[in-house]
Amino acid sequence: MDMTGTRHIAASRQKVWKALNDPKILKQCIPGCESLEMQSPTDMTARIKVQIGPVRATFGGKVKLTELDPPNGYRIVGEGSGGVAGYAKGGATVQLADEGSGTAMTYEVRADVGGKLAQLGARLIDSTSKKLADEFFERFTTIVGPVVGEASASSGKRPGWLKRLFSRLSGKRPKEVSA
Amino acid sequence: MNAPVLTREQREAKLEGMGCKRKRVEDIRFTQGKGNYVDDLKLPGMLFGDFVRSPYAHARVKKIDGSKAEKVPGVLAVITAETLKTVNLAWMPTLAGDVQMVLADGKVLFQNQEVAFVVAVDRYAAADGVEAVEVEYEDLPALIDPFKALAPDAPLLREDLKDKMTGAHGPRKHHNHIFEWSMGDKDLTDAAFAKAEVTTKDIISYHRTHPTPLETCQCVASFDKIKGELTVWGTFQAPHVIRTVASLLSKIPEHKIHVIAPDIGGGFGNKVGAYPGYICAIVASIVTGKPVKWVEDRIENLTATSFARDYHMTTEIAATRDGKVTGLRVHVLADHGGFDACADPSKWPAGFFNIVTGSYDFPVAHLVVDGIYTNKAPGGVAYRCSFRVTEAAYCIERAMDIMAQKLGMDPAEFRLKNFIKREQFPYHSALGWEYDSGDYHTAMNKAMEAINYKGLRAEQAAKREAFKRGETREIMGIGVTFFTEIVGAGPSRNCDILGVAMFDSCEIRVHPTGAAIARMGTKSQGQGHETTYAQIIATEIGIAADNIMVEEGNTDTAPYGLGTYGSRSTPVAGAAIAMAARKIKAKAQMIAAYMLEVHEDDLEWDIDGFRVKGLPEKSKSMTEIAWAAYNKPPPGLEPGLEAVSYYDPPNMTYPFGAYFCAMDIDVDTGVYKVRRFYALDDCGTRINPMIIEGQVHGGLTEAFAIAMGQEIRYDEMGNVLTGSFMDFFVPTAVETPNWETDFTVTPSPHHPIGAKGVGESPNVGGVPCFSNAVNDAFSFLGTKHIQMPHDYWRNWVVAEGLGLHK
Repeated sequence: MDMTGTRHIAASRQKVWKALNDPKILKQCIPGCESLEMQSPTDMTARIKVQIGPVRATFGGKVKLTELDPPNGYRIVGEGSGGVAGYAKGGATVQLADEGSGTAMTYEVRADVGGKLAQLGARLIDSTSKKLADEFFERFTTIVGPVVGEASASSGKRPGWLKRLFSRLSGKRPKEVSA
Repeated sequence: MNAPVLTREQREAKLEGMGCKRKRVEDIRFTQGKGNYVDDLKLPGMLFGDFVRSPYAHARVKKIDGSKAEKVPGVLAVITAETLKTVNLAWMPTLAGDVQMVLADGKVLFQNQEVAFVVAVDRYAAADGVEAVEVEYEDLPALIDPFKALAPDAPLLREDLKDKMTGAHGPRKHHNHIFEWSMGDKDLTDAAFAKAEVTTKDIISYHRTHPTPLETCQCVASFDKIKGELTVWGTFQAPHVIRTVASLLSKIPEHKIHVIAPDIGGGFGNKVGAYPGYICAIVASIVTGKPVKWVEDRIENLTATSFARDYHMTTEIAATRDGKVTGLRVHVLADHGGFDACADPSKWPAGFFNIVTGSYDFPVAHLVVDGIYTNKAPGGVAYRCSFRVTEAAYCIERAMDIMAQKLGMDPAEFRLKNFIKREQFPYHSALGWEYDSGDYHTAMNKAMEAINYKGLRAEQAAKREAFKRGETREIMGIGVTFFTEIVGAGPSRNCDILGVAMFDSCEIRVHPTGAAIARMGTKSQGQGHETTYAQIIATEIGIAADNIMVEEGNTDTAPYGLGTYGSRSTPVAGAAIAMAARKIKAKAQMIAAYMLEVHEDDLEWDIDGFRVKGLPEKSKSMTEIAWAAYNKPPPGLEPGLEAVSYYDPPNMTYPFGAYFCAMDIDVDTGVYKVRRFYALDDCGTRINPMIIEGQVHGGLTEAFAIAMGQEIRYDEMGNVLTGSFMDFFVPTAVETPNWETDFTVTPSPHHPIGAKGVGESPNVGGVPCFSNAVNDAFSFLGTKHIQMPHDYWRNWVVAEGLGLHK
């Protein structure tokens, strides 16, 4: 699963950075987060409840912050196991930049899921991830500062549904023709 | 009392013997919901087992903690590899000479591999217990692409074999290599290619798919501690083999093991092997002293019990410019998954893939098969085909089309030019088989006429012109296939399973009133044995089929046999039936001679009894003879009328057929429409034409599924992406095209009734026929070989790649 985007948040870069390092705020913003505990300034443990399609699971896992560059950004990596539902691992790069009176937050996520989640939920993972990201930013901006202008998700101009469908399909499957 | 005198025709019709479209007797119970399947079995105190399975394709198992699960209400035990080690059953032998983990021992090698077995009082508690087992994994890089398996830096999958560079089939050349198997003459073949006028070389892949019986694999194991006896009810295509293997593994004497296969809801090769579920249920029953049931769900069936195919065949044909084939060279990369659990006769690691020369007179050929391990489920079973025969048929039938295209010849004409001729039978193929009989030209010509081949080609030519002019967006493809199968394993001199020779058996008892029971070593999974076997006996000894009960599947009562798969029931057990019946007939003749006070030689067989030659009014029916056999046998002859036959066939049988398909594909949507599908089968003597037709319909429907979309697909992490019927294509009546069937009859010269077997022919011939139709449709636009499966999306991608959407 890959996801990129930029959000504009009406708060100073310093304020956004602080919130991104505050487990209490993160816990409130991450959908389904049951616990998020700081083990050290860069290590956290988390329990998150997720539902993708028919599979519902509570993931327990570790999250680590790396490449810390305050107040410009960090990389967050983690992996978690949802028992029989499967597992997930991945990371996100988050970058902050001044934009007008607020902050532009750019994120690049790459995650892999395995097990039943991938078997049954494969076709729902991208849309569910997008929905969870939206929920996260909705809560984050409520707490930190209102969003000014909706995200420029992925490619700027939103393509038609048919084109999106095909690009999704063709991105996923190998080419299998020998000429 | 005067019984009405029947004409000979009426007497014959009454028997419902061979050639009669007798209705399937088993359907009476199946259509009324009165079948008796494993899951119908409910024993007092019965427990249920369920598996904890690995979400990873390749991982080290660091820790398994079952303590929470054991506290779940209703859970009795959590069995792991450590538990099984105490009874030396953490690993089990596979049919292919490899070993397989019953439960994860240190690592897992494919997604959904069995990790722990939770035993509980019911299915719900077992499922709750499974969720509560905590397993700690350490993710390892997964090897999914078979073409990367033998790279020097490929991850090591089988640590248990790390230092064992010789496997069951000779030397291993890499840590992920299982075997190399070669046939034919390399030097002569290389020489033929060196001087060839035209050659082709293509990678023809037969993707991974799954037999998907509607009833999944399941069993109930019940160990009686007092008697020391084990009873296992299961979905077994080969019950006796299961009993022998269970005895060897458990050390329980074979006479104290009772294996019972009740009604089976489809097998298609999926139910030949032994699975961890069987072992775990047996162990759990021995440990708890109670019956234990294990039933797979659909996801488990699709992702963990034996898959089929995953053969990647680099195929080369050498030919003269005027279209005569001069050589065939094939190299196969055979993906067996994490363990080699292929269900082939033990000496044949690639099954009978050396039938790959097909129906054609190749003077020389050379074949090399490399078996490899990957992080996918184990298997490689013969999904409605004889061992690796559908792979071989697909390989040669695609390659023949590719060569015809290169030569600019019509594919039917190219085949006719290269067929083995009728007078060449028995024919010795370049890869070592002796084809028993065939008349390919007659079958092909009949089929071409029936489908109006010339007319179809003319229509296609016109349609192609119209397409080029932009008048239509539809392209038309004609699939041509002529396949030769090899079935009925086998002569025991070269076919065995773990040392158990592949004969088969029949026992017939004629009761005093002239009714009979027949028991076989085979096991029907829907083939209709109860109907057709009785018809063979009816014709052989003149007892009406309705008065014969056929019973299979109980190892206590059935004579030892190797089971049903690879179209071997009629070729092997069918022969045993005829031979047993003939023993009965010989004794009946002695009794009839005594009753009629003539010499045996003065009698002749007449439909349902013996009559005196020249005096047709002096006769004794089989019913009268049966009564006398028990109650008034001739002096010196022991009473009774029964016989057993164990039949070891002298050769295999070689059914063949000509299939044609006409299909239209919309290049803008990829949607195809099968306009006609015509299947001509020659399976030798036809026992029940209605059942043959039903078999052909079913096999064609599976072939359609496989060629047009049915696939077990993995992502690069080893996740199975087609683990449910949401994604795994099983056609219903909505998608299934109309089937036209036809036949010729070329009896097998070595089989007692000349029958060859038919159940699997349509899968073997159908898959290449559909694929050839799709390839033929696109060929005029410049494609050479498009890989299966040909679902709508892939057809659209091909059209997109050809620039048809600009």
